[in-house]
Amino acid sequence: MKTIFFLLIPIFTFSQVKMPTTPQPTQFQHYGNQGLGNPNNINVVPNPMNILNGTDEIQKKQQLQNQQIIREVEQNEKQRIETLNQIKRDINEIDQTNYNLPSLANGKGTEYYRNVYDKMLTLNVENYSVKDVNFEIENAYLENAQDKLEFDKIIKNSGDFIIAKMKELKYDTESNVAKNYMLFQFFSENLNLKANGLKHTPFKYDFVDYMGQKDWSKMFVSKLLKTKTGQCHSMPLLYLILAEQIQAEAFLSFSPSHSFIKFKDKNGKWYNIELTNGMFTASSFMINSGYIKAEALQNHIYLQNLSKQELLSAFYVDLANGYIHKFGYDDFVEKIANKALELYPKNVNAQMIKANYSGVRFEFVAKQLGINPMDNKQLQTIKDNPNAIALLQQANEEGKKVEQLGFTFMPQEAYESWLGSLKEAKRKQENETLNLQFKATVKKTLKN
Amino acid sequence: MRKSIFTVLLILFSKFCATAQNQEKLFEQSYALLNNMLVDENSYSFKKAVFSVENAYLDDKLDTLNINKQLNFLTNLSNSLIKDRFLAYLEKDKPTVNKWASVYQIMCDTIPINYNDKIYQYSPFGYDFNDVFGHTTRENLFVSKLLETHKGNCHSLPYLYKILCEELGTTANLALAPNHVYIKHNSIKDGWYNTELTSGIFPIDAWVMASGYVHLDAISNGVYMKALNNRESIALVLIDLADNYNAKFPNNDGTFVLKCCETAIKEYPQFASALILKAETRFKQIKKIENETIFNQQFKELEKQYAHIHEIGYRNMPENMYLEWLISLKTERNKYENKKLNTFSKK
Repeated sequence: MKTIFFLLIPIFTFSQVKMPTTPQPTQFQHYGNQGLGNPNNINVVPNPMNILNGTDEIQKKQQLQNQQIIREVEQNEKQRIETLNQIKRDINEIDQTNYNLPSLANGKGTEYYRNVYDKMLTLNVENYSVKDVNFEIENAYLENAQDKLEFDKIIKNSGDFIIAKMKELKYDTESNVAKNYMLFQFFSENLNLKANGLKHTPFKYDFVDYMGQKDWSKMFVSKLLKTKTGQCHSMPLLYLILAEQIQAEAFLSFSPSHSFIKFKDKNGKWYNIELTNGMFTASSFMINSGYIKAEALQNHIYLQNLSKQELLSAFYVDLANGYIHKFGYDDFVEKIANKALELYPKNVNAQMIKANYSGVRFEFVAKQLGINPMDNKQLQTIKDNPNAIALLQQANEEGKKVEQLGFTFMPQEAYESWLGSLKEAKRKQENETLNLQFKATVKKTLKN
Repeated sequence: MRKSIFTVLLILFSKFCATAQNQEKLFEQSYALLNNMLVDENSYSFKKAVFSVENAYLDDKLDTLNINKQLNFLTNLSNSLIKDRFLAYLEKDKPTVNKWASVYQIMCDTIPINYNDKIYQYSPFGYDFNDVFGHTTRENLFVSKLLETHKGNCHSLPYLYKILCEELGTTANLALAPNHVYIKHNSIKDGWYNTELTSGIFPIDAWVMASGYVHLDAISNGVYMKALNNRESIALVLIDLADNYNAKFPNNDGTFVLKCCETAIKEYPQFASALILKAETRFKQIKKIENETIFNQQFKELEKQYAHIHEIGYRNMPENMYLEWLISLKTERNKYENKKLNTFSKK
């Protein structure tokens, strides 16, 4: 027992000595707090053995080692805090970037557009009034300055005139073909009613600013009614409105930068009416513009008759375009475009609005990040910013969708020369033949 | 004496039967190969498909060694063109576009070749105005004939183009127009564009539409001007096989031809040539039916088939109109040339 105790003595005595221990995390905190900026000013733990043995060489060395480790750890800690702060600063910077276009909802006049949009959502897509929708859209641009009653009256009078003229000419007022033919005449010929001497002059094409770049209302049906001149947007729409008024069946159809009217006879044969020139045209004329790709036709984006639902989609596009022209892009534009695409997924015009919107939004973000989006090198710098990358990818994808639908850009000069080519002798002859063919059909219906 | 003559005749006859059977077997083998490419896409090879069809018609006498040698030469030439020539094209897909451009050059351009310090002239493939439709002999439509004579038509030229593209590890889409085959490519810069090998011009779509025999519905239904994928291209080759079979065995009962048609139509439902060949073959079969009620019943069915062909937009283009239209690309080049493609058109 004694021996055991004796043997244990060194252990007890050993335990008296305060040996330097490896630094513990809690200690780091301690030193860190005390000695920031002055690593030499470290409280050295007094060594009790010093009293007995004086300072040992080995102990000193160990202390030095300890101090070094502590210094290293401290430095690391400092770096860590610094990078953390840096990241925090970066995050703050990112948070200041706005990834959405600023809403224009507070702008004066936007509420008209939002009201019309909400109203349009309630429409029955299969059965709605073309006249009313179009009026609302134009009126939103004109800030409700238009008189609906007045407009309705003009349309009703025109419809009455057309029916009266049909009766005078002894057309079959029940026949869809005869109604369309009369509408065609209404757009392209001088007419007067013998019964009351009412006169009507044809509508003419307005070459000035026909794309509404300076004055958006140039494309409006109300402008067409007021001035008797219009373009390839307003004329087909007025045709549809009047067709609705006299209960004729006619369809809107698109070609590059253009729209026109289609209708079919009893045998299912389709006719194209080009209202800007008051002519019947063959599909080959449309195709020969040179800006219709086979893919566009395979995707049915051009030269197809729009269903009522697809037409509503086109009206949403009109709404969006008016809004963009007046106020610019914000998420409301995207909302409208999405609605249009929901109704008609291959609506190339709606897809273009969406692509433009995505592009504008990315440019907006790029500008905030101080990047020129057209410069490929500068674009590389966004690779650490996942939000910006996602937006760029979306912009590219939406643009690609437009291309995949078969869209090719038609320059304005090409459009003008193509439209002008209608007046060439050859086209005139084509028109004559079609017109004659058509008259024969009308007569046939008359006999029937 | 009589007996011996009889035996000789018998032997000759059986020999004749045997060769005929062998020939038919070649066609069956070719069909099996093509069909297998549709079942197992990994086995697809347009080169194999085309040459198996030509080999069947040529009674297994196609010189495949020589053809492979020629194709190797052309592939090497393309590769050296890709290496040595400057192409003003900046988009990401430049390597692919470069391959297309080199094959195009091989098909249409005269190329100087430096061999052992002597300059040789490589002459391109030209258009052969003789027997464009292969009426005299089907061989006029063959790629093997084109390789041999360097003269071909709208059948062999695009086929060779596609084969060379695939040899270079890229792809080319065939596209149809009335009586015609051409090439479509999709590049990042220009989207879909056309390559017309018979005249070496890149025409815009309006040129094809202006032939006057392309109905609007035919385009929107994909009868014409659709970029055909590899499976649909095999459908084209299947109909070549059937046409060759008809040329070889004019009095066949139509079973083999109908089999080809059905497989082709399954792959490419709007394939007008297949639908027409099917209807014509059925008509031949129906004519032989003596029972009136069955005849009427089947004839009605046939009428439906023809109505369908009309409905999808097919219109028959007279053959003489075809050449006129083909030439219009050269005479009215300015009107129909795709001016955006200045990257590789000659000046």
